[in-house]
Amino acid sequence: MSGPNGMLYGGDEIGALVFDPGHHSLRVGYAQEDTPKADIPAVIGVGPATHIPDAEEKVPDGNVTQSATKKDELRYYIDVTELHVPRPNMEVQTYMKDGQIDNWDLFEKMLDYCYSKVIRSPSEHHPALFTEAVWTTRPAREKLAELLFEKYQAPAFFLVKNAVLAAFANGKSTALVVDAGASQTSAIPVIDGYALTSAAARSPLGGDHLASQAKLLLANMHIHMLPLYSIQSKEVIRERERARYTPRILPAGLTSSWQQYMLKRQYEDFVHTVAQVSEMVYDERTAASVPGVHYEFPGGYHQDFGPERFKLTECLFEQTLGAPHLVCAAASACDADARSALWGAVVACGGVACTAGWMERLGKELAARAPSAHRLKTSAPPAHSERRFAAWIGGSILASIGSFQQMWISSQEYDEGGKGQLERKCP
Amino acid sequence: MADILDILDIEQPGASEITRDSIIHGDKAKKKYVTAKTVRRPEGMHREVFALLYNDNKDLPPLLPTDTGKAYKQTKAKLGMRKVRKWVWAPFTNPARKDNAVFHHWKRASDEAKEYPFAQFNKQVSIPSYSESEYNQFLKSEDWSQAETDHLMDLCQRFDLRFIVIHDRWDRAAFRDRSVEDLKERYYNICAILSKVKTNPWSNSVTMVNGEKRVYHYDAEHERKRKEQLKRLFDRTQEQIDEEQMLLAELKKIEARKRERERKTQDLQKLISRADSGNGIVNNQTSIVNEGANTPTGSTSTIARRHDRKLHKKKLTAQQRPVRTVEAVTVEWSGIKFPEARGAGVWLRSQRMKLPPGVGQRKTKAIEQELRLLNIDIAPTPTEAICKHFNELRSDLALALDLKNALASCEFELQALRHQYEALNPGKTLTIPASICNTNVDAEIKPLGEIIDVVGSPSALNTTI
Repeated sequence: MSGPNGMLYGGDEIGALVFDPGHHSLRVGYAQEDTPKADIPAVIGVGPATHIPDAEEKVPDGNVTQSATKKDELRYYIDVTELHVPRPNMEVQTYMKDGQIDNWDLFEKMLDYCYSKVIRSPSEHHPALFTEAVWTTRPAREKLAELLFEKYQAPAFFLVKNAVLAAFANGKSTALVVDAGASQTSAIPVIDGYALTSAAARSPLGGDHLASQAKLLLANMHIHMLPLYSIQSKEVIRERERARYTPRILPAGLTSSWQQYMLKRQYEDFVHTVAQVSEMVYDERTAASVPGVHYEFPGGYHQDFGPERFKLTECLFEQTLGAPHLVCAAASACDADARSALWGAVVACGGVACTAGWMERLGKELAARAPSAHRLKTSAPPAHSERRFAAWIGGSILASIGSFQQMWISSQEYDEGGKGQLERKCP
Repeated sequence: MADILDILDIEQPGASEITRDSIIHGDKAKKKYVTAKTVRRPEGMHREVFALLYNDNKDLPPLLPTDTGKAYKQTKAKLGMRKVRKWVWAPFTNPARKDNAVFHHWKRASDEAKEYPFAQFNKQVSIPSYSESEYNQFLKSEDWSQAETDHLMDLCQRFDLRFIVIHDRWDRAAFRDRSVEDLKERYYNICAILSKVKTNPWSNSVTMVNGEKRVYHYDAEHERKRKEQLKRLFDRTQEQIDEEQMLLAELKKIEARKRERERKTQDLQKLISRADSGNGIVNNQTSIVNEGANTPTGSTSTIARRHDRKLHKKKLTAQQRPVRTVEAVTVEWSGIKFPEARGAGVWLRSQRMKLPPGVGQRKTKAIEQELRLLNIDIAPTPTEAICKHFNELRSDLALALDLKNALASCEFELQALRHQYEALNPGKTLTIPASICNTNVDAEIKPLGEIIDVVGSPSALNTTI
């Protein structure tokens, strides 16, 4: 913390936790670490508690958060090991809506899971830092503070905009943050560690949209995507040959929401493996000259994907909804004095930003659109995990800085001032 | 060796005696370096030189550098016998907090309890405050209500005078939208008024210089104008930027062409002034060249071109003899300067006929070509007289070639100008006076000789070959 020469360096760790709820997953872990402890899908399986697991399902009982006691009580299945098991009548629900926490009961279950299974430490020992979307409404923020202080007895709590944290993770306090997430893409100017809420621009093009595009693409190519859980075994076949597999005997009564969710994961995997963003606007000929990428579907069918994989991602760079346009819109909504600093620090983060070629394309498009008076610089951490977890990492950095420790809303302050002070303390 | 002895069942000498020493050292202990009798270093020999000849085991010094020192070895961890200093998860309070909240962090058990070190970074901007009566007395404004002013001061405090953020968080539901400049203007106005009224210098916008209060004056009008300009600069469309770029590029091109022309003209003028000693034919040529300097071609505006054209015509008629400004320039020998044979000793006279290295390849070729046309041997017998005349001849030829080239470029210019003229004035033809027009090939040869005469190799007239 302090050196022999009286200089102060490093941070001060007070055992804080950082939560970064997103549409695709919730990241949770200790501040001062470089990656979150857990990256949990942001959906919860809700099924009847009476269900007795079949022999072939092999449910690890220890991981069940809510022990089933009564007949009419529901059981919640959280995290992939629990969630990805086919169970009759298990509905998949999400607690997120439009970048904010919407279903508080479900979210409580998630927090319970985090504290008991991930952190494995009582919540009253750890100050909690939450990230939030820039457009989070006041009731949602206050509700979260209330939940943390009253239910979880957190010693301290703080809320920061995820764009600010992403900028911090990139070592910047002034940046134009492009967050290409699952449900939406947004461009948010951050000045001196404050997000400019009125200048933020966003569009519903995100990873989910990409997955649905992939679904459309495969349907057009007459490729049937089978969910992984439905395959018992498969045979090795030649390329483009008809798949030969043995379907698995599934329990009756699988809900469509769960099936849809599992299929979506499959499409996401397809996108993750195959999709690439072309450097320039999609051109059939240049795309065809790039070697294809091989993909094997869960059923065993496999083939090379050539120009399709470039065509797939073109929707992300749509003229009026794509990231470049959002950046321009956000920058031009800012004060003229701030613009050159913002153009000089365009920071990309989010899961979609990990798509191959996405950064290069963004850089190219911005160079074409940005006013020539500015020096344009786009940056993103090279490691994919750092791009995906940028907001969490920023939170981890912030919560472990010594001079930040005065910013927390402590439980004493909450008891005295109530949740009304949240707007003042967490700008 | 031992294996063979085993196979042959031969008793190994000394194998039976196993001592503690032999187990520990193996057979290493048996090896004994024959230590040679140390050679003394001769008197006067440097230590380093001696070390090359004789080292301890009389090996040759290694060919490759080897490092044997400890420098590159990994240092082993030095484990001291001191006790480890304990870390404890200890509670602390942060004086920068107002609520005395207790957090825990790791600290050395031995460290004495002191103030939380990061509290020193808790710096806040001082924002002026005012009471209600003060507001009513001094700060009333038609444009700003007190609630709005209070809101502004509150935001200033919260965001440490980051006006862009303040503008962003401005409560647009309660108050009307204001620009950053409006906010700044109001804030600095309040600062200025309060600093006059109040005695204590509280704000960072007031500085004391020589005991006199200096208040930061915010020039809102100027700022607004500046920002407007900035916005306009940023909001230029791509076409506008391209146009500007294009115009700048054009300007550069024009300037480059102008420079090129000037350079050419100067070259030509120099050349002619060298060759010129009052001959009429050359005069005419000079006049063309002089005019050429005034006649820009290319992409300058047509108005300027027309103007120059007029000038050109006038000069052609009025000035038969152009002003010889260049005459004063020393008539430089532009042929080939053969170096005087220098140095002591014997040398071949043919050396004197060697072209100096300054003459380029092309020129040499051209001269040889001319010589062949004149049926002159390229390497004649170097008698004294031949050497002299041959050198003079070649020098003159070089000059003639230069002039020929200059003439050709003048011709070209003339023709180009004529075409331009005809293009600009359709239907008219520019008649070039015969005196400056040089179309006859026969006529070209004749003056050539004259020029050579004129330029005059010093001995051309009175020496016979």
